[in-house]
Amino acid sequence: MATLPDLAPALPEIFLACASMALLMIGVFRGDGSLRLVSWLTVASFIVTGFLLLQGPEGRAVTFNGLFVADSFGTFAKLLILIASSLAVILSVNYLEKERVARFEYPVLIALATLGMLAMVSANDLISLYVGLELQSLALYVIASFKRDVAKSTEAGLKYFVLGALSSGLLLYGASLVYGFAGTTSFDKLATVLAGAEGAPSVGVVIGMVFVAAGLAFKISAVPFHMWTPDVYEGAPTSVTAFFAVAPKVAAITLFIRVLVGPFGDLAVQWQQVIQFCAAASMIIGALGAIQQKNIKRLMAYSSIGHIGYALVGLSAGSVEGVRGVLIYMAIYLAMNVGVFAIILSMRQSGRAVEEIADLGGLSKTHPMLAFAMAVFMWSLAGVPPAAGFWGKWAVFLPAIQAGLYPLAIVGVIASGISCFYYLRVIKAMYFDDVTEPLDRPTPTAGFVVAGAALFVFPVYIFFLSPITSGAAAAAAALFGAR
Amino acid sequence: MILTAILAIILAAAVAPTLNRLLPALSHWVLALVPLSAALWFALQVPGVVAGVPVLETASWAPSLGVALSFRLDGLSLLFALLICGIGAFVVIYSGGYLRGHPREGRFHLFILSFMAAMLGLVTADDLISLFVFWELTSITSFMLIGFNHEDARSRRSAIQALLVTGGGGMALLAGLVLMGMASGHWTLSAIAASGADLRAHVLYPAMLVLLLLAAFTKSAQVPFHFWLPNAMDAPTPVSAYLHSATMVKAGVYLLARLNPTLGGTEPWFWALTLAGGVTALWGSAMALRSTDLKKILAYTTLMALGVLVLLIGIGSDGALVAFAGFLLAHSLYKGALFMAAGSVDHGSGTRELGELGGLWSKMPATGLFIAIAALSMAGLPPLLGFVAKELIYEDVFRNGHMVALAVLLLANAAMVATAATLFLKPFLGAPTKAAGHAHESGPALLAGPAVLAGLSLLFGLWIALPQGLLGATADAVRGGAPQSLNLHLWHGLTPALGLSGLTLALGMALYFGLSPVKNSLAAIQRLTRIDHDRAWDCLLSLLQGTANRITSALQDGVLQRYLAWIFAGILLLLGATLVMRGGFTWPGIRLDGDDGLGIVLALLMLGGTAGAIRARSRMEAVLSLAITGMSVALFFLLSGAPDVGITQLMVETLSTIILVLVMAKLPMLPPGPDRSRPAKLFHSVLALGIGGVVTVILLAVLDQPLAMDLSRFFGDTSLVEAYGRNVVNVILVDFRGFDTLGEITVVACAGLGVFALLRARMGKGGQP
Repeated sequence: MATLPDLAPALPEIFLACASMALLMIGVFRGDGSLRLVSWLTVASFIVTGFLLLQGPEGRAVTFNGLFVADSFGTFAKLLILIASSLAVILSVNYLEKERVARFEYPVLIALATLGMLAMVSANDLISLYVGLELQSLALYVIASFKRDVAKSTEAGLKYFVLGALSSGLLLYGASLVYGFAGTTSFDKLATVLAGAEGAPSVGVVIGMVFVAAGLAFKISAVPFHMWTPDVYEGAPTSVTAFFAVAPKVAAITLFIRVLVGPFGDLAVQWQQVIQFCAAASMIIGALGAIQQKNIKRLMAYSSIGHIGYALVGLSAGSVEGVRGVLIYMAIYLAMNVGVFAIILSMRQSGRAVEEIADLGGLSKTHPMLAFAMAVFMWSLAGVPPAAGFWGKWAVFLPAIQAGLYPLAIVGVIASGISCFYYLRVIKAMYFDDVTEPLDRPTPTAGFVVAGAALFVFPVYIFFLSPITSGAAAAAAALFGAR
Repeated sequence: MILTAILAIILAAAVAPTLNRLLPALSHWVLALVPLSAALWFALQVPGVVAGVPVLETASWAPSLGVALSFRLDGLSLLFALLICGIGAFVVIYSGGYLRGHPREGRFHLFILSFMAAMLGLVTADDLISLFVFWELTSITSFMLIGFNHEDARSRRSAIQALLVTGGGGMALLAGLVLMGMASGHWTLSAIAASGADLRAHVLYPAMLVLLLLAAFTKSAQVPFHFWLPNAMDAPTPVSAYLHSATMVKAGVYLLARLNPTLGGTEPWFWALTLAGGVTALWGSAMALRSTDLKKILAYTTLMALGVLVLLIGIGSDGALVAFAGFLLAHSLYKGALFMAAGSVDHGSGTRELGELGGLWSKMPATGLFIAIAALSMAGLPPLLGFVAKELIYEDVFRNGHMVALAVLLLANAAMVATAATLFLKPFLGAPTKAAGHAHESGPALLAGPAVLAGLSLLFGLWIALPQGLLGATADAVRGGAPQSLNLHLWHGLTPALGLSGLTLALGMALYFGLSPVKNSLAAIQRLTRIDHDRAWDCLLSLLQGTANRITSALQDGVLQRYLAWIFAGILLLLGATLVMRGGFTWPGIRLDGDDGLGIVLALLMLGGTAGAIRARSRMEAVLSLAITGMSVALFFLLSGAPDVGITQLMVETLSTIILVLVMAKLPMLPPGPDRSRPAKLFHSVLALGIGGVVTVILLAVLDQPLAMDLSRFFGDTSLVEAYGRNVVNVILVDFRGFDTLGEITVVACAGLGVFALLRARMGKGGQP
């Protein structure tokens, strides 16, 4: 009879699962008004989860009959996800209270989504991949329409759900094709089967892989599966957008890397061109789409599409350095986006939330420090040195050039040139335009997060270039070493 | 120590706003001490560098990324560093006087000192990446400086224009440097230069050359990227005096000089540099003659000087490089003095328009004196440094027989003579105007810079042996060879160069006295060529915005159905491309056996059902037509020997049709939507046919390949032995996948309970009054 699987590698996830159930109970029994308590407890449980993660077993551990893997690649991504989720919860509390949607379900849903993300990152089988992905997605569908009496928010939730369901369908269709033609869903076995195959790979597996890739490309909102992003970013409550912008992206792109490099590593010739297309198209659409936006959330949506394109450039190189680059990129992306959204969440004029770029007019006169931080983020997003964003781009483009992907690099350079144009518009509004109506004073929490993120982006990152790079390098090497 | 100098200036920048608040009247004098002491330190390095020992510094930064912060100070870097810190110190003093009482004076010092640090880093960086980082920093800080008067819309536009042009050049620089690093395998300039001349023979040499030239030409405002520089004159005068005379615009020239040993000396290098330089020099001279605003005139003469410098690097002979060094120094000194003095004129008289200036000599004698000395140097008259530089240029170009270049230089220098005369004669010695009535002399802060720079122009001219060593070291660095001895004199004797100087002077005076016909003919030429770069720039931007608008509104119109269409289009593209290009795809053969008669009938039925669904006008019709297709599929399963699957399909089909019909009966009738346009219909049908086609082709291709039979074999072999069942499907459902089935049943039960709860809630509500 089967023995109990080894639980130690999955201890952080198990803890978080139990914690979110407990949080739900606390919320239910304390009733409304328990948002603050549940939120801080959620953050605390994220911290404990992170602690457990760091205490976890060394090296690569596989458990649950090969469904679950814990390695340093996953740990790197999970830490990023936990940081992003914690900050999202911290930043949300005030916003939710001011918008009168202070319900305790919010942090619980974020905890569940985060659990799904951790499971995704650790997936070692197409089935566990799907379970993790759906756990995450279902929670996200709900919080996208969290302001359920606002038409825009419900529309966002519905659109996200319909398109998300379609992408899940694509992914499942692809997974079943892969299963039918390779005879297994386990990543490790798939890698062995595909590596052992002689001659051209089976058409069925290739098609299945393309479908799986398309399903995952939806989750990271890579072009041509990006349509939901601007609508959902704009429609969802801003605190939700702040969460969407970072943690799910990190989780999905990590999963994407694990799937493509792990089981489908020997089909690199086939998936590289898919990724290259998505990367180039995302960079272009991200750059062009943002130019005309007036709403800063929509602008950030296109910006995130473009940034996913840059990250995919690293992946399309298909090398250890490329994957290392993507991990570095996502770490920097996290800092920049958390900072920007902390500022967007603080954009209020006499208590009323505003989200137009024009509302930032003359910010340098009313809130000089806030404006300076925003300028740092914009320079960094545009990839202008010496801000961190440049080093991220450097880390993904160099491997691509070394792999001979010159056209992709050229597209990237042109796209970042165009993107400067709209990041500059925000700076211009803050520094050169007149004040329409001064913004309210940001809360101390938001100010703290903004200051921390800005200092990280510039200049702290310059001094931490080395440790972060070697951490990402170790994570990438762990992924490639397992093959 | 170089790093310390840069950090000290950054520190000064950081404390500038606070210092300005504490000591509003004195802060600029205090702040200037920092660049001044840096300049002193650099001056102390001159003997060592002239002796041929460059100063080297390396700080480890990110070894795993191959990035180190390394600095190298040779003749070229040292000359630039001295100019940057020396002129910078006086610009800081000057701006304190110029912006006295301005609410953002502290912020201005913050920007200009940051710029200074970036520029210093740029000219001393040895590492390719540090070079790029500093290069971009100069772009950003100059953007903030040009846009300093942001109340003015023109200022804002100019700032953004300058940033986009030089920023675009920055991208090209990065690409070019990366190519260079990858081709040579070294990431420091000195190592690349030492690795030999193989880069010129490298297959990527043309790409490197184009990218790096693009970077240098945009930064140094060479035609056709010159248009941003005159616009950038909207900046406050200290900015123009600093950025647009000695530093930022010379960064491109620096890059070219720095790369000359590595990439220079080839045919494309020669032609690109001499052509761009020559055309820029001519264009700048012509525009300088046409302009009437003091600062605009100076901006165009700067274009001319930049053109000449690029031209000299392009020629690249030993003498030309010495002349390059000499002219670089001479131009930085006299142009800095002229810009600052022009600001002083503006400050004292309230205008910069030539037409409104006259008779200032009695009111502003000091400013007049400095302008006179600097203008003489610009005109290239003895005993000033400008004369020595011009002689050097003429001598070498004449000796090497570049006659076209010589003609260009002659014309450009003659225009400089005329411009120099324009700058001094009319405003100071002409008939007094209204502006002269209330004009007053400027204070020491405004005059210190012009005095020192003009004085140095004179001193170096008289005592050329003083800067001679450094100029020689600069030329050696640009040439990249062994040091050569140099012996410069103010007086060369009766040489062809002196003759050419005389000719220049005569031509220049003729131009000055015949200025109005010259202006008219220049205007005619410009009307003829009709090149309006500014308008072209605006068109480019609006074209970009228009394209972006069109693409975005086509893709992102908020309609879910259209998003679905695009997603399917994307899948179609990705699948199709992967299969055709990488999948090892072969066209499947279609076999039609004789006994497939019934199958063909069923296939036709399916097609009919599909066609009916497409043509359907109401939802009900569409559902029923689709049901025909579904039923035919079920029959197909029956025919193919899978009765259980066939029955299942039949049940599912019947049930879903009934449910759909039931639901639709309850739904309100929607008004018929607007007819879709023909292109939209066409797009949808192409998309549908494409998806259908690709899926069909995939299925056929898949059927050509053997299915992995391991599972079927496993279930077939073991179902009787291990699970004691003869019906394999049943055994799979209740035994091998027993837990799955239990789960599915649970899910269905839960869903049923949920529906029940919903229904009850609704009934309960409905029951209430």
